[in-house]
Amino acid sequence: MKLELGIIPINDIQFGPESKVENGTIYVNADELKALILEDEALKSVELDIARPGESVRIMPVKDVIEPRVKVEGPGAMFPGVISKVATVGSGRTNVLRGSAVVTTGKIVGFQEGIIDMSGEGAKYTPFSQTNNLVVICEPVDGLAKHAHEQAVRLAGLKAADYVGKLAKDIVAEEVETYETVSVKEGIEKYPNLPRVAYVLMLQSQGLMHDTYVYGVDMKQSLPTILNPTEIMDGAILSGNCVSACDKNTTYHHLNNPVIKDLFAQHGKTLNFVGVIITNENVYLADKMRSSDWTSKLCKWLGLDGAIVSQEGFGNPDTDLIMNCKKIEEQGVKTVIITDEYAGRDGASQSLADADAAANAVVTGGNANEVIHLGPMDRVIGYPEVADIIAGGFDGSLQKDGSIVAELQVITGATNEMGFNKLSAR
Amino acid sequence: MSKLRVVHYINQFFANIGGEEKADYKPELRNEIVGPGLAFSQAFGDEAEIVATVICGDSYFNENVEEAKATVLDMIKSQSPDLVICGPAFNAGRYGVACGTVAAAVKKELGLPVVTGMYKENPGADMFKKDVYIVSTKNSAAGMRDAVKKMAPLAIKLAKGEAIGASAEEGYLPNGLRKNFFEKKRGSERAVEMLVKKLSGKEFETEYEMPSFDRVAPGPAIKDMSKAKIALVTSGGIVPKGNPDHIESSSASKYGQYDIEGVTDLTADTYETAHGGYDPVYANEDADRVLPVDVITDLVKEGRIGSLHKYYYATVGNGTAVASAKKYATEIGKKLIDDHVDAVILTST
Amino acid sequence: MYRIITNNSLCRDKYQELLPVEYLEGKGYMDVLLTVRDYIQKGWRLETHPMTGSLKPNQTPYKSIMVSDLPLDQEEFYSQEMTIENSILSCRKFLEIKQTPDWSEEIRKDFMIVDLSLIEGAIQKVL
Repeated sequence: MKLELGIIPINDIQFGPESKVENGTIYVNADELKALILEDEALKSVELDIARPGESVRIMPVKDVIEPRVKVEGPGAMFPGVISKVATVGSGRTNVLRGSAVVTTGKIVGFQEGIIDMSGEGAKYTPFSQTNNLVVICEPVDGLAKHAHEQAVRLAGLKAADYVGKLAKDIVAEEVETYETVSVKEGIEKYPNLPRVAYVLMLQSQGLMHDTYVYGVDMKQSLPTILNPTEIMDGAILSGNCVSACDKNTTYHHLNNPVIKDLFAQHGKTLNFVGVIITNENVYLADKMRSSDWTSKLCKWLGLDGAIVSQEGFGNPDTDLIMNCKKIEEQGVKTVIITDEYAGRDGASQSLADADAAANAVVTGGNANEVIHLGPMDRVIGYPEVADIIAGGFDGSLQKDGSIVAELQVITGATNEMGFNKLSAR
Repeated sequence: MSKLRVVHYINQFFANIGGEEKADYKPELRNEIVGPGLAFSQAFGDEAEIVATVICGDSYFNENVEEAKATVLDMIKSQSPDLVICGPAFNAGRYGVACGTVAAAVKKELGLPVVTGMYKENPGADMFKKDVYIVSTKNSAAGMRDAVKKMAPLAIKLAKGEAIGASAEEGYLPNGLRKNFFEKKRGSERAVEMLVKKLSGKEFETEYEMPSFDRVAPGPAIKDMSKAKIALVTSGGIVPKGNPDHIESSSASKYGQYDIEGVTDLTADTYETAHGGYDPVYANEDADRVLPVDVITDLVKEGRIGSLHKYYYATVGNGTAVASAKKYATEIGKKLIDDHVDAVILTST
Repeated sequence: MYRIITNNSLCRDKYQELLPVEYLEGKGYMDVLLTVRDYIQKGWRLETHPMTGSLKPNQTPYKSIMVSDLPLDQEEFYSQEMTIENSILSCRKFLEIKQTPDWSEEIRKDFMIVDLSLIEGAIQKVL
């Protein structure tokens, strides 16, 4: 399966009378987009805002971040099984509005998290301080159940990203990136001497605000399976995870999965990138046993020499991570795992809730308990009052001048466990 | 600004006094730069100067730890330094332990910034890496230049009270305190590189060392407790009043064996704790709270336990290296078996 | 036989007709973990992970865990004992940083709903 990504660099977003993409700027007709989002009867009102890199702006609480893309050639359309009909995506060509993102915020529950600072100290820790962000602020109708509210906010973000993405359907890309995965048989013939490597992608799948959807399927209902890496670039995996801002994988992370990108970079050189095995992080221990058995079985069956395993979230998934690592190593397949740490504010506590000697090659995204001081911003988009009850924020974390003292875990994507960032710890 | 005053601690070998035959050399203070001090002095430039060097033979230090430590500390203190450098000791075991001991004491007792350096497998590294900054060096003196290059700037930073980065940035041995920093490459790229190394059998360095839990298969249950001889062993530091064996309050270098034949209750007048890692008030008030001699005595009287072994064993668990603890446990275990003890109650804090 | 240990009244109300529920009224996250540890040490089997959800133990006051009296071997016992002990350690670590705030009624309700949703995936599989 071969996919071309047509890269269209974006350096600004503006509201305007006509929605279009021109000379690196996205223009959005706000009323038109709002009307589209408000077709969902679960929503009472929608506001749109824009946050640009370097501005004195704070966005909170962030639910999801999505990169606008559009399918230009090939079967299916973006976000299959949710926004578009079910069809195998991942081939042909997709245009990418690189440098832009749709960010959703909303008060689904009373406790909220996820901060994106567009400048200052906090900006160093979130990748989304570097993107031009179209922020979607959703208010539900009164008395809407939590599940329905979560779904409405999730869909609002995807619709907005789809709307913006489609503005770039006919634009000629400045640069084209090509990604190709061949069949198992062809791969062996083509690279007989390179180690066969797959990526084991663990997906959050525990319940309300902790879910991930694959072609529209709730991942906790699925057994581990195999995807072409390019399917993920076309939105086959969508985030429904709104908890633990620092180490949840937003939809943007899925679309731009860094492990996939860096494995492709070495494909045909130092390794043969075979494909992606996706698995879940269920709460039921029997499911964990089943999924890790299945994942390691697939690794063996694909004739792998090595695998990179990435995690999502805190606590419970540590056990899945270690189970996967241990069982894959038992199959004779070498692993590197990517995680993050909760080592306490002083860094002295045990970092993970599980451990095994088999996990001898670990990459860390940093200690999420480390305390960070976020200076005041001129403008806050979303709900500033939630700062005081944000995860990791202690009482009075919101200072009079608008600055916030909190743990790194409040920042969206700060300790990402796909290895999206340069942050690490020792 | 005037230069920072530095005192340098080295052994007899690096002072050009002699090798093993001179290892019993007693502590000596010289108001000059000696041996590796020259390299440090160059690296310090205008920021700091070595005002004195303290020299001590490795055998002398390790065979007379308390005395040597006190003397060396006095010599260092007499120079009113702003900063102390120990070693580097590379892979020399006794030199490493001496450097670690001096450095830890300088930090704790004199409250001065201090840096030492050694090879990661030097026994001194495991013993003191949690107490002081130990720069990771090569395993021989051929790595002197490299060691000085890392030790000197770290020492200056410490002396100036500047923020110290993560171990991987500053070059010290991981001290168990996880600290964030920005790598040059993102995590996914590091993961791919690590995997390629692992697949080709090359050496790779994990970013997080998994804690290892020793698994001990439970022994068979005791069939008749009323006939069993029970011993007490603790890492809670309970010792006869006055701590006759001078068990250290942290990073213990020994354990004690104490006769409790006929003792039915530990009192504030007779026992205390040597442990420096918890609030000692309640243990000192009544050491039975950590080492339950009183309760066991009751159980023996009631006939529910056969007897209490006449010796108990104690060490301090606070920061004590796992390797040391294993060594003590092996020795204690052997003694207990030789004395036909049926079961042991292990207490911690 | 399955059993739910919880301090979440929503979970109790929804499932007490269908399964035995030990409801720890007015108790915290840590109390639920400690109670479950007692069960495990008495030979019960852990059915759901003690640290479900990405909510931190000093953030949500609620925890629901399922155990059963299905047989387990020595190896499983060891692994489950480690899981619960590690969870207790982790919970203690967070509570030492900061106690769980005294949340408003509205926020408590939200935490209850999320906790219920987390355990439901497992309960549905055994009913």
